Amino acid sequence: MKISPLLALTALVAIAFTLASGLVTQADGWSRSTKSDNIFGMMFGDGRKLFANQFFTEADVYFHSGYYPSIFDRSGRDSEITETSHGHTDSPDDEIKEDFFGRTKDWVDAFGRNFRVTKHTHLESGNEREILPWLRLAADLDPQKTETYTVGAFFLWDHLHKSGEAEAFLREGLRNNPDNCEILFALGRLYNESTHDTVRARNVWELGVKKFLLLPPDEQKENKIVFDELSVNLARLEDQAGNYGAAINWFHAAQKVSPDPGALQQQIDVIQKKLDALIHVAPQKLY
Amino acid sequence: MNKIFALAGVVIKELYRRKDFYVLFVLTALLTVAAGAVNFFHDDKIIRYVKDICLLLIWVSALVIAIVTTARQIPAEREARTIFPLLAKPVSRGQVIAGKFLGCWLATGVALLVFYFFFAIITGSREHIWPWAVYFQAAWMQWFMLAIVIALVVLGSIYFAAPSSTSTISFIVVVGILGIGSHLKIIALQQPEPMQFILTVIYFVMPHLEWFDLRDFVVYDQSLVSWPALIVATVYAAVWTGIFLLLAWLGFRRKNLTT
Amino acid sequence: MSVILKTEKLRVEFKSSEFRQAVKIAVQGLDLEVNAGEVFGFLGPNGAGKTTTMNVLLGFVPPTSGTASLFGIDVRQPIARQRIGYLPELTYYYKFLTADELLRFYAKIFGLTRAETDQRIPDLLKLVELEHAAKRPIKSYSKGMQQRVGLAQALINNPDLLVLDEPTSGLDPLGRMKVREIIQRLKNEGKTVFFSSHELGEVETVCDRVAIVHQGELKTVGSVADVSAGSANLEQAFLKIVGAQSQPLP
Repeated sequence: MKISPLLALTALVAIAFTLASGLVTQADGWSRSTKSDNIFGMMFGDGRKLFANQFFTEADVYFHSGYYPSIFDRSGRDSEITETSHGHTDSPDDEIKEDFFGRTKDWVDAFGRNFRVTKHTHLESGNEREILPWLRLAADLDPQKTETYTVGAFFLWDHLHKSGEAEAFLREGLRNNPDNCEILFALGRLYNESTHDTVRARNVWELGVKKFLLLPPDEQKENKIVFDELSVNLARLEDQAGNYGAAINWFHAAQKVSPDPGALQQQIDVIQKKLDALIHVAPQKLY
Repeated sequence: MNKIFALAGVVIKELYRRKDFYVLFVLTALLTVAAGAVNFFHDDKIIRYVKDICLLLIWVSALVIAIVTTARQIPAEREARTIFPLLAKPVSRGQVIAGKFLGCWLATGVALLVFYFFFAIITGSREHIWPWAVYFQAAWMQWFMLAIVIALVVLGSIYFAAPSSTSTISFIVVVGILGIGSHLKIIALQQPEPMQFILTVIYFVMPHLEWFDLRDFVVYDQSLVSWPALIVATVYAAVWTGIFLLLAWLGFRRKNLTT
Repeated sequence: MSVILKTEKLRVEFKSSEFRQAVKIAVQGLDLEVNAGEVFGFLGPNGAGKTTTMNVLLGFVPPTSGTASLFGIDVRQPIARQRIGYLPELTYYYKFLTADELLRFYAKIFGLTRAETDQRIPDLLKLVELEHAAKRPIKSYSKGMQQRVGLAQALINNPDLLVLDEPTSGLDPLGRMKVREIIQRLKNEGKTVFFSSHELGEVETVCDRVAIVHQGELKTVGSVADVSAGSANLEQAFLKIVGAQSQPLP
């Protein structure tokens, strides 16, 4: 029996379409889909996290206008770049410590530095915007990387005065990482320092503390710095609001995890004096 | 010299009559425009990532044009047998090598001009500034880096009959040098002997193509590279180009073309 | 008469691909002279060494020993080819160029001035009947047209010596007639023509002298009449010299 090619083609297309419409609803459940629906997530699977890390680093490279150690420069030299000297050059020693290039190794290295960015600078005066695309991409590729949201939001509200964008970014982070204490802390900072909405800041920080206390003990131990920050900032908030008792309570809570409880004790003592003065003054006023 | 320029002219005609350049240019343009059209946090002044992406595409496209065009010159002439009516004329094999190199280099230079002009339009439309001196330095250095690459590919095409082999090996070598060339000494110091010695020798002997990559200066709005350093790098490129072309000539001059 | 083309004890060896044979001798001890103004036929069966000899004369292959010269200049010098024109058997030219561009390119290689080039190209295109197709790329040409382009490029520098490798191979009778006419015209102008061919009938018609090579050795050289003496025609003489006799049909 002779079958017309056109008929065969039509039949095949019809079969394919029927199968596709039947299978499409089932296919969603076959693959372990990521929380991200973007094309990178679909294309790269878990490898997207590597790209996300790379893009996050790229944001740092952009922040330093290209002055950035490569993976080869970093090997074995991390200890020489000290935090205290970072961004500052008070002495020649500081310059050498933060200069990851080090002294010239040979004539090739010496001449090659003419063609590399060798000056340590930070973006400022609104140019910090240039790091945003990489943070956006990093967030798209790895929505579970909370640092992306907190760093991005910080630059948005603190350097670029885009509070609305910062809040939206942090809320996106919260949607992808529900109850994350770091993001809640950052959101609270935004409300407190940018929009000066202390009520919302308090609410968000207190929520952050609640969520922290719900974490299993191991995770609490890993994230104690976040709790420290939440508690200290709540303490300062209460101090500014005149709620000295609450402030002292928060500082005490922070002392349990703080690396420097002594410094917090000094602040507790100051607030205690204020509280004592208030109590001392108040009875006289009544009479 | 007229013969060399005549040979170069044929190479240039071939490039703009093939589709390669146009495809790469359109691809670069489309990807750059697409990258520039994305809105990040409602800030329309963000430009550096567009510059970064565009320059990366320019670098890739220019390397593809240079390597693929050069790799097929002499093997294609041999395969198509057009080498015979050519060498039956009063032209030496050295002139053929020089002509092919010059044609590929000038053709790549024209392509670079078009690419950088497009780059200037795209970035200038957002930044409203045109740091022509920085652009010139970046384009100039890239062009001279491509001279070394083209000469290297000419050398490879003498010994590898298939353009695909020459292209693949050239890409690997060039990308390798651009990626880790400046760090090879650090890598060498972490290796045991004799690998340390071998890598150190390679580090000093190889052409340092990474010097010619000035994209960071363009993307991050850095100041100009010092002109004396630029001139020295240009001379360095000329020397390496000469070395590769000389080696190519030595391999080509006695080659039996009938086999 | 001045000697235009000369080989002395020319020997060409190639590395052999055959097992237990280190080298293959393509040409051995070839002594050849071609005088100015003559049409010289270079004959031999397949594998005799004709193409190898031509390749040496054109500089494609270096000789193993012996010498070869054109106009008294060693063939290894590019300048030796300044006054020659070469038409290969298989015509391959840059497909992306037009005939006009190809001729201009070769004219530049020969060092012709712009004025000379502008004058010669129309004449050549008219001679080979390609005026109508001069601005079209060669890849759009038929085989016959490509061979005519080949002839035009061989004549671009008004050569004193024309080297033709199987010039009528693949041509129709009209094309062959054209080639014969061109050869005759060049001879009338005092040019020298050196060509190899299997078409012995045509060789007999146009050549002044012929040489026959076999297994890399020169077997005979002389005028057509001298070589054909004792045989019915040049073909019979050729077969006798190379040691092959035609067999009668059963």
